[in-house]
Amino acid sequence: MEIQKFVLKRLIEIFVIFFVILTVLFLLFRLAPGDPVTRMVDPTMTPEDAAYLIAQLGLDQPVWLQYIYYLKNFFTGNFGISFHYGVAVFSIILNRLPNTILLFSTSILLSAFAGIFLGKIASWHKGEKIDTWMTLGALICHTLFLPWLALIMIWIFGFHIGWFPLNGMISPEIWLDSSSGFWLKFLDVAHHMVLPLATLFLIHFGSYLLLMRSSMLDTLKEDYILTARAKGLDEKVIRNHHAAPNAALPVVTSVGISLAFSLSGGALTETVFSWPGIGRELVFAVSNSDYPLAQASFLLIATVVLISNLVVDVLYAYLDPRIKY
Amino acid sequence: MVDRFLEGWSVYKESLIGKIGLTLLVIFALMALCSFFPPMIDPMYHPMTGVDPQISHSASPSWRHWLGTDFIGRDILCQLLAGARIAFMVGISAAFMSILLGTTVGMIAGYSGKIVDTLLMRLADMIMVMPTLLVVLILSSLFGQLNIWTIVLLIALFRWPGVSRVIRAQTLSLKERPFIEAAKVTGASHFRIIFRHIMPNVLPLSLLYMTFRVTSAIIIEAALAFLGFGDPSTVSWGMMLQWVWKTGHMFQAPYWLLPPGICISLLTLSFYMLGRAMEEVLDPRLRKEVAQE
Amino acid sequence: MALLTVKNLSVGYHTRKGFLKSVQGISFALDQGKSLGFVGESGCGKTTIGMALMGLLPDNASVTNGEILFEDQDLLKMSKKEIQQIRWKKIAMIFQAAMNALNPVHRVSDQIAEAILAHDADISKKTAMKQVESLFQLVGIPPDRMNDYPHHYSGGMKQRAIIAMALACHPSLIIADEPTTALDVIVQDQILSAIKDFRNKLKISVIFISHDIAVVADVCDTIGIMFAGQLVEYGRIEDVFYSPMHPYTQSLLSSYLTLNKDVVQLNAYLGKTPDLINPTTGCLFCERCTVAEATCSLRAPEWVKISPTHKALCSRCK
Repeated sequence: MEIQKFVLKRLIEIFVIFFVILTVLFLLFRLAPGDPVTRMVDPTMTPEDAAYLIAQLGLDQPVWLQYIYYLKNFFTGNFGISFHYGVAVFSIILNRLPNTILLFSTSILLSAFAGIFLGKIASWHKGEKIDTWMTLGALICHTLFLPWLALIMIWIFGFHIGWFPLNGMISPEIWLDSSSGFWLKFLDVAHHMVLPLATLFLIHFGSYLLLMRSSMLDTLKEDYILTARAKGLDEKVIRNHHAAPNAALPVVTSVGISLAFSLSGGALTETVFSWPGIGRELVFAVSNSDYPLAQASFLLIATVVLISNLVVDVLYAYLDPRIKY
Repeated sequence: MVDRFLEGWSVYKESLIGKIGLTLLVIFALMALCSFFPPMIDPMYHPMTGVDPQISHSASPSWRHWLGTDFIGRDILCQLLAGARIAFMVGISAAFMSILLGTTVGMIAGYSGKIVDTLLMRLADMIMVMPTLLVVLILSSLFGQLNIWTIVLLIALFRWPGVSRVIRAQTLSLKERPFIEAAKVTGASHFRIIFRHIMPNVLPLSLLYMTFRVTSAIIIEAALAFLGFGDPSTVSWGMMLQWVWKTGHMFQAPYWLLPPGICISLLTLSFYMLGRAMEEVLDPRLRKEVAQE
Repeated sequence: MALLTVKNLSVGYHTRKGFLKSVQGISFALDQGKSLGFVGESGCGKTTIGMALMGLLPDNASVTNGEILFEDQDLLKMSKKEIQQIRWKKIAMIFQAAMNALNPVHRVSDQIAEAILAHDADISKKTAMKQVESLFQLVGIPPDRMNDYPHHYSGGMKQRAIIAMALACHPSLIIADEPTTALDVIVQDQILSAIKDFRNKLKISVIFISHDIAVVADVCDTIGIMFAGQLVEYGRIEDVFYSPMHPYTQSLLSSYLTLNKDVVQLNAYLGKTPDLINPTTGCLFCERCTVAEATCSLRAPEWVKISPTHKALCSRCK
């Protein structure tokens, strides 16, 4: 099947890109000032542990051999030991990955759907008050500074009104209590997710709304819309069934293009809300000079971006029958 | 050249968005210029080192300090003004550099075709996939604290791909035009063709994209400063937010929390409006005065 | 009783430069099972007539005068809902194949079935699909292509699909707007045969709009020549074709090179379109007319009845 070939081709491309990133990172690692060994291996370790780790990571070998070790380690999941946590980096990032994916994908899906839905409505009522308000609102939200919005959200909803927790993903009391059922835990996470989700949503939905709105206005001028009207179809049917599916396509493309930006935003959000995801881990690791963790977090984020791009492309191919691979 | 500009200006003037955007920009530019004055009046108004002998904590707005003071008694308004200066500096330099790079790459790729084109565009794709903010983060973990110009350079290095794609497309269509053929026939070198003939035609598009790049550069620098990776010797709005956050004042000091964020958002908004109005100038199809058939 | 009677229809567009009078005082009648063609150059208003009949004029257009009596009801006085019900069920339209007339994200069969289902509340989707299949057979598209998307079709196939869609609800009248433009001659011929077919077999009335007089002559019984928003000559095909009276009609016909005659001098009938925002009081064709007199530019011409089935709008043809 065509689509499978496409996915395979893209996976190979992703692999190549990833390889290049790995290599560049390795080169920078070697070029950076300071001793590479102390960067990767915590100086406060016992000499035996340190020696073992150095051997594993190949840090005592000549450069080109180091590169081989580096690649091998990467593909076997050996990223070293985190300075800060003192455990294998792999276990840390594995633990954080689902949290990021949860927040990230939910926010993207919500803002894309809302943007498409509201943009459609704004275009119907073009020129009217509701359109002006929506467009203005979208514009303002789009230009808000994310960390600042996050702080404001915490301040108002967490601090003043007190509806939501100030940070974190879970309330330890609930999770440590063995009698807490699944639903309680689920609601707890959801409760913690509201503010970070709202922040990400507000920042992103604006651009999707504006894009959908102009896309709808363009689509409504198309010939096939005239055909639909000539067929005697109801305006609502024409907009929802004929115009909107076509108008939504550029928005899907836009989601794909802005994935890198969305992930940066995700990292900022996680940091401000202390949401235990990879983004926050990267920021912490860099602040703490915990290079093994920083490197692994960064690489994992890069992987997430690349895979998400692929997912969006496949989705687009599914939605637009004109795409042939 | 001049009358093209004047014609563009008359179209621009009609756009409400453009006028608002330009007004806001002028206000911020004035702010940036004014940032030099307060420290000259009284050293206590210096954004970094100004210490008020009477206040050494975060205080609410007063006649001495129109927006209050930060946690060690520095004047917030002065910091805000200095931040405007930094924002313009960072935004425009980073944008300018990325446009320079992106336009050059785009023109070369579009003009050369085949292998050079493919290679350059592949490179552009790879860079575009990277979240700029996070890349600068990892680089700062390797190379230590970055100073403001390094940050500007890094932003430019990672933001040029977007422009290059558009310029490349434009170059591709220009390449087929007769006047390029004529130039080739008269023996013009490739270099000359690119810079003398193609560049003036892609320049308006470059300028348009520059406005968008300015906003992203400002936001990235602000985000970096917010996370604590900015240049500690420069006072930017992002840095101000970092101080408010890290010193635990975010709940008690709205006069400190609100202004920097509002400024970043407004400046971003004004550049965005400028860009949108410029789009109308450059692309006649977007203008409202299209006659009906 | 005529199926369609149009009396004194005038339509204009509001533009930045003023009110453009696109159609001025058009009157004609069409019986069931007969076909009428409108021929003219671009901008003469023929498409506007088609759009006005379907109620599909754009927002900046206004009907300033006239009646459109379809089955004795004035379409211009109907409510939006009533028009929606008439559309496609009674009057259908065939667009240019070159147009993007089919929605690219829906299957062709679904789009045709949609028309059927919209006008018949009792029919099931399965039955509708069966009808689509028979329509495809009628227009000559292999039924195994039914579920394809529009971009899989060739130009000719798309046009047939559009015809099939127009026939879906068994309308009494079909308006064909440049259906053969942008198709190569062989396909053009096939499409014209298809149109003649359903005109003859299904007794559907056709209004055929084109800039190509030869094509119209092939399909229609009656022809109306349009210029600058006005009907300048009207009559049976034989009358107009063999004895064209209006100077514009004459130049249209003589512009054709034929293979079996000597090269005839081409009448350069090209020229500017008259100003439709502030039209002159005299004859609109005057500037391009080769036999104009001094009085032509001062006084508007009147209809001259050449025979019971042929009339022309010209002061010179008496």
